[in-house]
Amino acid sequence: MKLILIANIIICICAFIGFTYGMIKFFKPKKAVYAQMIALAVGCVAFGRLYQVVRLLTGGDMFNGFQLGVFGVIGSLLFLFSANFGAMDSLVDDRSREFIKYRLISLAAPVAALVLYIIFVWFTDLPRSVKIASALVTVFVMQASYFHLKHLIFPDVDLGIIKCLRRYNLLALIYTFLCMAEMVVIGLGNETGILIVGVLIGSVMIGVIISAERGIKKWTI
Amino acid sequence: MDNLVYIIFICHVTPLALMTLMLRKRSRLLVGYMLIGIFVSLFVSELNTILLGLCEDDILYVTTTITPISEEIVKALPVLFYAVVFSNDRDRVMPIAFATGVGFAMFENMVVLVQNVENVTIGWAIIRGFATALMHAVCTVAVGYGICFVKKKRKLFFCGTFALLTMAMIYHGIFNMLVQSDYKYLGFFLPALTYIPILLWHFKYYKNKEESAVKEN
Repeated sequence: MKLILIANIIICICAFIGFTYGMIKFFKPKKAVYAQMIALAVGCVAFGRLYQVVRLLTGGDMFNGFQLGVFGVIGSLLFLFSANFGAMDSLVDDRSREFIKYRLISLAAPVAALVLYIIFVWFTDLPRSVKIASALVTVFVMQASYFHLKHLIFPDVDLGIIKCLRRYNLLALIYTFLCMAEMVVIGLGNETGILIVGVLIGSVMIGVIISAERGIKKWTI
Repeated sequence: MDNLVYIIFICHVTPLALMTLMLRKRSRLLVGYMLIGIFVSLFVSELNTILLGLCEDDILYVTTTITPISEEIVKALPVLFYAVVFSNDRDRVMPIAFATGVGFAMFENMVVLVQNVENVTIGWAIIRGFATALMHAVCTVAVGYGICFVKKKRKLFFCGTFALLTMAMIYHGIFNMLVQSDYKYLGFFLPALTYIPILLWHFKYYKNKEESAVKEN
């Protein structure tokens, strides 16, 4: 069996475990939409990887033209971004000038993602469709990673919420960069790298849900 | 003979449209949105024909990659319209999203029937009736859940709905891929596997709502 298939199966199984756990824990009455979005992000990864597994098992190719599995990654990044930007950021950042340095430091994450894309994907001989799909993923990685880094380093002044979610934000930030790393190893054609990144993404998927659940539990107590 | 798809479309839509005039409030809304689902399905069948031509008639690629995108976007538009113009109340949006999905699936089944009239069986009808209808309904309900936030939380609405849309597209793509592969029976069970948890959640949601209403009274 190809290592890329094994990597996708591992991520799919781990993400489904995380998704099921998240559904049980977060989809209850009066639970925060923030938490539900995190569960749905993991669900997106699960479905996206399931698509890729089915595509590979039915004789399809990952690199032949655009494929819907990319939407799994994009969807997950969008959910993570939406949770932080839509539900959490207004509680964390009051837009005052006092915290401008944290906002500027947070820009390091999207810049790093962009540099990784330019060096390891744009200047390779991958098909143009893969480069475009990767560019799309990079855009979403940039916006999600900005808020994860911001919420990781931002001082917890008033509510004590963001402090409880630091571990979750760290893992989510790692996930966004693992998406970039996956693009890089695919660009380099390194199958062992694909497997290693796959195992890491799978572990992070479970970790994200558990850390989010623990963090949210602390802040609601 | 005229286009058979359009003949079937007129035969089904006309009585339903006439019946809608006799209905009141919620029933009218549900049947109306089922009709819209049928209209959308007709539009998408034409759109998919154009897309198939653009992709050099590669049916497998189009059905597993392109049509899930076109169908999910077009199906979501009437639900979005209702949420923006009339009400974004979840209790109203979710049933109409389901009705749109079911109407869409009903007419899509008819289109497939017309295109494969010599090969269809009762078994085919049962499988398509359960699997395709549930798949379309589940996908539209998922997107409808995000659309409910249109007026409540704009930031959540834009990103959340797009993310749910991508999820629905992938789910649709997996289904289309499975039913055309050697694992087709897995594909037929997939919608049921996702419909059951949604149904249970739905019952629980209304049960809790009723209980809290009783407590308040």
